Amino acid sequence: MRIKFPASRFAAALKHAVRLLLSIMPMIIAVIGLVGIFEVVVTPQMLKSLFSGSPLADTLIGTAAGGLSVGQPFLSYIIGGELLDDGISLYAVTAFILSFVTLGVVQLPLEAELFGLRFTAVRNLLALAFALIISVATVATLRLFS
Amino acid sequence: MTKNTPHKNRSGRIMLFLVAAIYLVIFYLDPSKGEKALFAAAGTLKIIGPVLILVLFLIALMNTWIDPKSIAKHMGGESGAKGWIIALAGGVLTHGSSLVWYPLLADLRGHSVKDGLIVAFFYARAVKIPWLPVMVSYFGLPFTVILSLYIVLGAWLQGMLADKMLGRVKREG
Repeated sequence: MRIKFPASRFAAALKHAVRLLLSIMPMIIAVIGLVGIFEVVVTPQMLKSLFSGSPLADTLIGTAAGGLSVGQPFLSYIIGGELLDDGISLYAVTAFILSFVTLGVVQLPLEAELFGLRFTAVRNLLALAFALIISVATVATLRLFS
Repeated sequence: MTKNTPHKNRSGRIMLFLVAAIYLVIFYLDPSKGEKALFAAAGTLKIIGPVLILVLFLIALMNTWIDPKSIAKHMGGESGAKGWIIALAGGVLTHGSSLVWYPLLADLRGHSVKDGLIVAFFYARAVKIPWLPVMVSYFGLPFTVILSLYIVLGAWLQGMLADKMLGRVKREG
């Protein structure tokens, strides 16, 4: 049995997709521009200088610093490894690694435009809270088994 | 087709104008820093651009072949465990910048995919399979396994909470 490709339906769907992408293109380019600025302004040295040595304060700082950072995930592992070597707590490092990949301050405008302010606020607040919860749970579990 | 797209608001253009203004200020204050930022942005665009074109075709193919009722059935309000498994596995297995997934997810949301599943998908993306060996080398296997498991559990819990908080669990059909 031959399946006929629905060319006209695909053309209409493609037209819709192009319109969608074009409509959000200014915001995508703006966010990419912001990524460039953050990559230059928020350096690993700057991030390291934020930590104080207090586990509680550092966990909060780690969450905020991770949310402000941009780049490939492995960068958070390298910075996290250096922070551990500098005596920063594993709670703070875990929170930093988690918020690095789950929170995106730079991407907030695009997320809000596509999903709405309420969805964006709820999702990011949950991600923020869970960065703290998971960092504590991970270190506690690790200590339980070690 | 989606209910929430395309967008007609001007926030994107305003944001683009603001970012361009920030670049002008940086170039004025420190041209070398401005150049570095511009190169970094161009590098990101080079990576994201081709994937965005792929996403464009994915959205078109999805709207051509997949019946909206079928999406609602598998990922809508009545999807149950199957919906959670699809969202969590999708989050863990997909890679690349979140930016490129936004248009596709927004389109799916317009097809009655519940908010909790989108939230769960986003959080499950924190498990970066290609980077796990690097994480193991820095923090050890036990840390990597425990953190990855908690991320998936956290993604599911956040999805459930988001559904309750947003109250936008759509019904099938």
